[in-house]
Amino acid sequence: MNGGASTGGSGRRSGRALVALACVVVLHCSLIVMLAGCGMTGRGHRYGGAESMRLSEVVGQGDPARRASTRLVAQGLEADAAGAAEQAQGGYERAIQVDPTNPYAYLALARHRLDASDSGGAIELLDQAAALFETEGLAGPRVSAHLIGLRGRALHSAGRGQDGVLYLERARELAPVVWRDGYLSAEELR
Amino acid sequence: MIGKKAGAKKRAGSKGRARKASAGKRVTGGKTGGGRTTGKKGGKKTAQRSAGRTLRRRAEARRTRLIGGLRWLARFVAVGAFALGLWLSSWVLDLDRLVVARFEGRRFAVPSKVYSAPLVVYPGMDWQRIDLSGWLLRLGYREQPEGGELAAGRFEWRPGELRVHLRAFDHPLRPEPARRLVLRLGEGVIQQVVDLQDYSAVDVVVLEPEPVSAFLGSNREQRDLVMLDQVPRHLVNAIYAVEDRRFERHHGVDVRRVVGALLANLRAGRIEQGGSTLTQQLVKNFFLTPERTLERKGREAVMALIVEARYGKEEILEAYLNEIYLGQRGSTAVHGVGEAARLYFGKSATDLSVAESALIAAIIQSPNGISPHRRPERATARRDLVLELMHEQGHIDDRELSRAVAEPLRVAAVSPESGEVRYFLDALSQQLPEVYDEAVLASEGLRIYSTLDPRMQRAAARALRAGLERVEGRVSDDVESRDRLQGCLLALRPQTGEVLALVGGRDYGASQFNRCTQARRQVGSVFKPFVYVAALDPTSGPAATLASQLEDAPLVVDTPAGTWSPENYDHSFRGVVSLREAIERSLNVPAARLAQHVGVDRIITMAHALGISSPLPRVPSLALGTAEVSPIEIARAYATLANGGRRPTPRTFVDVVEAGGMAHENRPLEGSVSVLDPATAYLAVSLLEGVVDRGTAARVRASGLTGPIAGKTGTTDEEYDLWFVGFTPELVAVVWLGYDEPRSIGRPSSYGALPIWTDFMKEVVGSRVRGAFRRPAGIEEVEIDPLSGARALRGCPQHRRELFVRGTAPVETCPPGAAVRDRDRRPGFFRRTLKGLFGR
Repeated sequence: MNGGASTGGSGRRSGRALVALACVVVLHCSLIVMLAGCGMTGRGHRYGGAESMRLSEVVGQGDPARRASTRLVAQGLEADAAGAAEQAQGGYERAIQVDPTNPYAYLALARHRLDASDSGGAIELLDQAAALFETEGLAGPRVSAHLIGLRGRALHSAGRGQDGVLYLERARELAPVVWRDGYLSAEELR
Repeated sequence: MIGKKAGAKKRAGSKGRARKASAGKRVTGGKTGGGRTTGKKGGKKTAQRSAGRTLRRRAEARRTRLIGGLRWLARFVAVGAFALGLWLSSWVLDLDRLVVARFEGRRFAVPSKVYSAPLVVYPGMDWQRIDLSGWLLRLGYREQPEGGELAAGRFEWRPGELRVHLRAFDHPLRPEPARRLVLRLGEGVIQQVVDLQDYSAVDVVVLEPEPVSAFLGSNREQRDLVMLDQVPRHLVNAIYAVEDRRFERHHGVDVRRVVGALLANLRAGRIEQGGSTLTQQLVKNFFLTPERTLERKGREAVMALIVEARYGKEEILEAYLNEIYLGQRGSTAVHGVGEAARLYFGKSATDLSVAESALIAAIIQSPNGISPHRRPERATARRDLVLELMHEQGHIDDRELSRAVAEPLRVAAVSPESGEVRYFLDALSQQLPEVYDEAVLASEGLRIYSTLDPRMQRAAARALRAGLERVEGRVSDDVESRDRLQGCLLALRPQTGEVLALVGGRDYGASQFNRCTQARRQVGSVFKPFVYVAALDPTSGPAATLASQLEDAPLVVDTPAGTWSPENYDHSFRGVVSLREAIERSLNVPAARLAQHVGVDRIITMAHALGISSPLPRVPSLALGTAEVSPIEIARAYATLANGGRRPTPRTFVDVVEAGGMAHENRPLEGSVSVLDPATAYLAVSLLEGVVDRGTAARVRASGLTGPIAGKTGTTDEEYDLWFVGFTPELVAVVWLGYDEPRSIGRPSSYGALPIWTDFMKEVVGSRVRGAFRRPAGIEEVEIDPLSGARALRGCPQHRRELFVRGTAPVETCPPGAAVRDRDRRPGFFRRTLKGLFGR
C-alpha cells in the first residue's frame, strides 16, 4: 500500500506533488465543513470543538447483527434510565449475544456495572470495549471521553481515588458538559 | 362397648348368685321339716333328696365353672380388645404422622429445569439457518393451518410471511410481553418484523429460551407444579367426570362407588371397575405401592380418611393435580397436569381448551395405553367419552360438547432430550455454587438459564456423531467394539467465554465421562501456537518475528533422560523455512528449535497466561504438544488469541431462578482479562489464518467456508489423538477424537477432526463467516524479502508484505547494506495525511 517501489522522472514527481496538494486542500476543506456541520446539529454534547458520543448516533449503522445489537443496547439504556436495572442488564447481554464484537454493548454494560458498584467488572468491560473500539476503527476522542471518565469512576470506587480523579479530570477536559458532575447517566449515553 | 357388656354380665352373675342362695335356704328348711314327719319312707326320701342335692351341687359347680370361664373369657376379650384398640390407634397415628409429614413438608420433588439462551431475531437474519419454526415447535408453539385469529402460542405460515402470537416470558429479571408479530420473509432473510398490535416496525424480537433438560432425581420424574387457581375449571370437571364425580361430597372413601364397583366386578367375573376416589389415588401414589392386596386397600382407605379429615378438598385436589402420573417423555416419567400440558400440548395448564382438558383426564386411567402420541385413535375415543360424561353431569352444554368433540387431536411434537446435552448439564452443575447439590437440583424446581445455543448444540452433536462414524468406518471394521472411538466438540464465544455447545462424548448413556472438560489428552501440534506466541511476545524481547527464518535440520537436544531428536511428520528436512511456513505446515523441528531459543519456562508461562491450567512438563518436547490438556483449556487459550489477547472465563449459566420466581443466583457476564499484547495476539491470529488458507487446515477453505477463519490441526504420535481448533472473530470451536484407552486412529487430524469442525461451522454460520479479524494499533506492515526475511528495498528481487509489532521490523535489508530511506520506512504521503485526519 505504500507503493514505495515506484520510479520516475522529476516531471512525474512534480505532477504527483500537485495532485497531492490538491487532494490535501480538498480534504482539509471537507474536514472544516464537516466539523462545522457537527457543531450546528445541536445533537450530543460539545467539547473542545466536537461532541461526546451518544448511542443514538450509531443505531442503524453496520450490518443487520450490529444494528440489532445496538438497538438492544439502546433498549437497555432506556431501561436503565427508567430504573429497570435488571432488564437493562438483560438487554446489554443480549446485545453481546447478537454481536459479541459490538463495543457499545460493553461500554453500556460497564456503565451499568458501575451503577451497581461493581468497579472490578466495569474495568474489565471497559478494557474489552476499548480494545473493540480500537480494532473496529471507532476509537477517537468522542468515545475516549466516556472510556476515560468511566474508568475514572471505576478507579475511584475501587479505592484508587487519586488515579480516578486524574481520569475524571481528563474526561472533563474532553467532554466538560457530560463529565462536569463526574457521572455519565444512561440518558446521557443514550 | 366391650367393657360395658362385661360389666353387665358381671352384674347379672351377682344377682343370679343371690337368687340361688335364697333358693338353697328354702330347700334346707324343707328338708328339716320333712325329717320330722317321715320314717323309713322318709329315709328313702332322704336318700333321694341327698342324691338330688348332689346332683344340684354338681350342676351348680358346673355352672360356677362355666360362669368363671365366661368371666375369664370376658376378661380376655376385654384385654384383647383393649390391646387391639391400642394397636389400631398406634397404626392410625403412624399413618397420620406419615400423611402429615408428606403434606406439611415438601410434597413434590420438582426437578430443576435448564433453559437455553434466548433466540434473538431481527431483520436481516437468515431465518432458515436459525430454524425459526423448529424453535417455535420446540417451545410448544403449534402451527395454525386454518388461518383466523392467532391464539397465544400459535403461528401461521402465509406466502412470504410468518405470523406468530408470542407468549409472555415470565423471567423475573428479563420479562418479555406477549405480542402478535408478522415476520416478512424474502431472499432468505427476515425482511421486516411488524407488531400486529399497532403495525409498528420491530427492530429486535427476543424469543423465550428453549427448555433443554432437567436435573432429574433417581426417580426420573418430571413435574411442572401448578396452583389450583391456575388450572381451568373444565380440567377439574373433566377429572371429576371420569375419575370421581362425588369428590366434593365424600370423606375420602365413596362407599356407594365401592359397592357399585364390587357388584359390577362380580357380574363381570373380573375386575372391571375401581372404586378409588381421587383422595385414594393420591394416597396410593404418595405412600403406597400399586399392588392389589386387601391390606394395601385397607391402608389406602384409612389414609384417605385421614387426609380428608386433616385437609380441605382444595388442598387435596391441588396435590392430586400435581402428583398424578400422566405419561413418559423418553425415559422420564411425567407427573402432574402442568407437565402433561407441556408434554402433550406444549402449553401451560392454564391455557388448555375443554377438549385438551378432557384428553388429559382421559389418559389418567392408562397414560401409556392411551398415549395421544402413540395411540391417537384410542386417546381421541376416550377423550370423547370424557366429554360425554362431562355433558351428562352438566359441566358442559351441547354447544361446548359438539365443539370439543369436533376439535382434532393436535399434540405437540415430542422432543425427547438428546443425551448429548447431559454433558453440558454436568459441566453446568460443576459451575453452580456448592449449595446447589444434586438433591437440591433434583427437587427444588429451580429454573436455570444457561448460555447454551440449542441450535449449535444440535449441530455439534450431529457433526460429531457423523464424523465419528465416518472415521470409525474408515479405520476399523470392528465398530461393535466396546472401546469405540470417542470425541468431543466444544464451542464458546471468545469475548465472553460463554459455552454455546458442548458434546463430551458419543453416547452419554454409555459413558458419562466428559471428554471436553474431564479428559486430559496429549495435544500435539495445537500446542505449537503457544510456542510461537511466546517467541513473538515483545514484552520479554521478541525471540522471533513473522519474518524470521527457522532452520529445519536435524536437532539433538540433551535432556536428563537422554538425547531427544524431533522429526517432522514426513521424516524429511527442508533446510531453512520461514516462521509462517513452519507453522502452516506444522513442522516439528523448526518449532522445537524455536522453543529451545525461547526457553521452555517462557512457553509454559505463556500457555498458562493464555488459559491452560493443566500442569505442563518442563521438557523440550513440550513444544510439540506432549503435555496433556483438556479440550476446554485449549478452547479458552485459543479464545484468548481470538479476543485480542484478552482471556475469557468459561461460563455456562446466566442465572438461577427459584420456583417462586425470585432470582437466586446471578452470574453476570464477565469481562476478559488482558494477558497478551493485542498486537502479538493479532500476529498469532494471522499465522493461524495462514494455516487455514494455505497450510494443514486448507481443507477448511476447500469445504467452501469463506471469511475470517483461523485454526490449527493437531495429531499426536501414532495418531492416538486428533485435534482441530478453529475460530472466527465470534466463535471458537475445538474438536478432539481418540479412544479412551489410547490407540491409533490411523488417520491424521485433517481427515478426522477437521471435517467435523467444518460440518459444524457450515451448519452454524453458513458458508460465509461474519466479521473480520481487525488489526489493532501497534501493528505495522513492512515489505520483506521472503527468502531472507530482511526488509525488502528497491532492488530486492522478491517482496512480500509482513506484519510486525511496531518497532520489531527487521533492520537487515535486501539487498544487503542498502540504506533504508524514509519512504521505505514510512507510509506514503496520502496515507500519512489520511492517517493524520482520521487516525488510521
